[in-house]
Amino acid sequence: MPIAKVNGVEIEFEPGMTVLQVAELAGEEIPRFCYHERLSIAGNCRMCLVEVKPGPPKPQASCALPAADKQEIFTNTPMVKKAREGVMEFLLINHPLDCPICDQGGECDLQDEAMGYGRDDSRYVENKRAVEEKFMGPLIKTTMTRCIQCTRCVRFATEIAGVSDLGLIGRGEDAEITTYLEQAVASELSGNLADICPVGALTHKPWAFNYRPWELKKTESVDVMDALGSAIRVDARGPEVMRILPRVNEAINEEWLADKSRYAVDGLMRQRLDRPYVRVGGKLVEATWAQAFAAVAGKIKATAPDRIGVIAGDLSAAEEMKAALDLFTALGVKSIDCRQDGSALHPKWGRESYLFNSTIQGIEDADAIMLIGTNPRIEAPLVNARIRKRWIRGDVLVGVVGEQADLTFPYTYLGAGVDSLKRFVDHGPIQKEKPIFILGAGAFARPDGAAILAMAAEAAGSMGLVKDGWNGFNVLHTAASRVGGLDMGFVPAEGGKTALQMVEKGGADVLFLLGADEIDLGQTDAFVIYMGSHGDAGAHRADVVLPGAAYTEKPGLYVNTEGRTQMAERAIFPKGEAKEDWTILRALSDELGARLPYDTIEQLRDKLITDHPTFGQIDYAPGHASAAAFDLMAVGEKGETTDAPFVSPVKDFYLTNPIARASRTMAECSSLHAGASKMAAE
Amino acid sequence: MFIKRIFTWWNGATFGALLTIAQRGRYVGEDDFGSKYYEAKTIRDGDAGRRRRWVIYKGYAEPSKVPAEWHGWLHHTFVEPPTVAPLKVRAFETEHLPNLTGTRFAWRPRGSLTRGGHRPAATGDYEAWKPE
Repeated sequence: MPIAKVNGVEIEFEPGMTVLQVAELAGEEIPRFCYHERLSIAGNCRMCLVEVKPGPPKPQASCALPAADKQEIFTNTPMVKKAREGVMEFLLINHPLDCPICDQGGECDLQDEAMGYGRDDSRYVENKRAVEEKFMGPLIKTTMTRCIQCTRCVRFATEIAGVSDLGLIGRGEDAEITTYLEQAVASELSGNLADICPVGALTHKPWAFNYRPWELKKTESVDVMDALGSAIRVDARGPEVMRILPRVNEAINEEWLADKSRYAVDGLMRQRLDRPYVRVGGKLVEATWAQAFAAVAGKIKATAPDRIGVIAGDLSAAEEMKAALDLFTALGVKSIDCRQDGSALHPKWGRESYLFNSTIQGIEDADAIMLIGTNPRIEAPLVNARIRKRWIRGDVLVGVVGEQADLTFPYTYLGAGVDSLKRFVDHGPIQKEKPIFILGAGAFARPDGAAILAMAAEAAGSMGLVKDGWNGFNVLHTAASRVGGLDMGFVPAEGGKTALQMVEKGGADVLFLLGADEIDLGQTDAFVIYMGSHGDAGAHRADVVLPGAAYTEKPGLYVNTEGRTQMAERAIFPKGEAKEDWTILRALSDELGARLPYDTIEQLRDKLITDHPTFGQIDYAPGHASAAAFDLMAVGEKGETTDAPFVSPVKDFYLTNPIARASRTMAECSSLHAGASKMAAE
Repeated sequence: MFIKRIFTWWNGATFGALLTIAQRGRYVGEDDFGSKYYEAKTIRDGDAGRRRRWVIYKGYAEPSKVPAEWHGWLHHTFVEPPTVAPLKVRAFETEHLPNLTGTRFAWRPRGSLTRGGHRPAATGDYEAWKPE
């Protein structure tokens, strides 16, 4: 490997690295504004100047200069310092002095670097330039006068998000970033624009002027808005979550975050269930916990176990599902289901049959991708970004069976439904090293889902997706709780009913919902007990409401679509009289005379891990580890299929769960995007 | 009553104060509430180079009872006492209102729950769900 000297210290580096990367490798920090690890190199801010020997006797932009063998790099000479001070002075000529009212204040790259390289006064006496504001939708607030033309946002929009809405026009002093059509940035990842902006030109509109970064208590947690379990940091002030930012997790979200995960936080402060309610004479009235428990216990004791149904929702943590499972199994209840979307996935076909086996990072290795009944752009925007990242590198086949949607990258459209999938059942081995299927809920969350699953598995077997060291059979879930539920067997026991059968008319006499709001409760005539954090469809129909905690208000284990168990932490406390969900079930178990054997969350987790060891493997995704033992032929149940096309169950990206539906920001985004797509259609 | 005079300072002047004033003081005047004002005859070390001035309240010792003209004299804002140089009475001057803190007429700020007001929105406020 080539060797360079950084400030006199020799360091080995990979061929192809830039001078900036080599200096970082040697532990030298290089100031930069335009350079970003995950974007292409622009080299236009000139802040990363260093001195290089051999070479011309002038400072060089290290981000765009390939490092060479036997090169000498100096990052702290007087020449470098002077050059950087010069660059900083030019940047500050037109940068307004509004740090005290700027939302970036305190976490601004320009502010930080000015401490090291800024002059204490200005030699510039002319007027500063002013730039017109741009409209970038309800999420991104612009103050374009602050822009230093690093073009990170332009590169992010074209490379990662795949929407070419942003661009740089003009030259010299007239250069400015603009949205070509003055319309909302049509991406589900637009919030990242504000993250990558090194100055305060792009900030978060919903949170404008609400906080200073140093006031916030930071809690590292896990996102539940989709099934990916992106790494997030919950920033709270007192009892309110002020914002959610991504953390770096190379395996899942790199350093990006989808808009819903980020901006639905105002939903945590609206429509909250903060006290128990009991329906008296057809109306819900406020009650104490004792009254609510008496109503629930009386009803459950008076009902035969086979007439009781339990449904877990999309945002439930593993702890409360485990507590509910233990409690109701002890009572003899068989109708227990975590698949409120009616999907056919079942743990009896092996864990691999419902996991994203190639892992999300594995998408980057794949060389043939087939999307079946899924629109990853709205079901899991970060999976879509990964596929796009793979597509940009080239030499990959992407095919779609299902909806013909704009996925930000071109693909081969193979058909709409079962008939198109059937063609692949006896396709024969594909001439690719690492092919993958991505199966979405559009394919398996329907009455003939088990048959389609069998067909897809057969096609996967025929095409050679599963082999030694590679498992390309992927299931993309839409709910954060689903894999956890399937892992612990939160599915109907022998003779039990599925979620959709339970909510039919006469399907059950008592329904216990753990935050299940996405299931149609219009037909059921059961006594409905709803436990959850938000007043949504479930609470409206409920006869007893038990207020629980939202995902920022309780510690919990979530298993993402890869089968990766992750631990979420509590950032704030539940609202009002609400309690952490598993404690409600623990208290209820006393009333029902079937006391659960755990008093602390540690004991509960011990029980969970003893019963289901996969929950003990925090941050571990099995991937292809068990590919050899995975029998594709056993997946699903062969049967009749209908020729209805595959349709993604996610109708509106911004309104998929109770928290997002309570959020004003999400409502605004939803109406704006509905209007935009209508305009595009006309 | 006598015991209160020994052990409290707010039911008339303490005996120590009375003794000091009797030894060192010269009577200056009396205000509308009946409080009496005194000035030291001599300047001692520690008096900041000026004659000490005292008030002995009639009844309950309440500093807000001192009228503006006597307050100015007491704090050495005015050289002459109001008995010698009375202040002009202005049209905006109002009757003395005793300190109401601790009574039910005490001042409550806007938004105070006892005043039944609306508190301005603050961090952590949430909208609770209401059925129907």
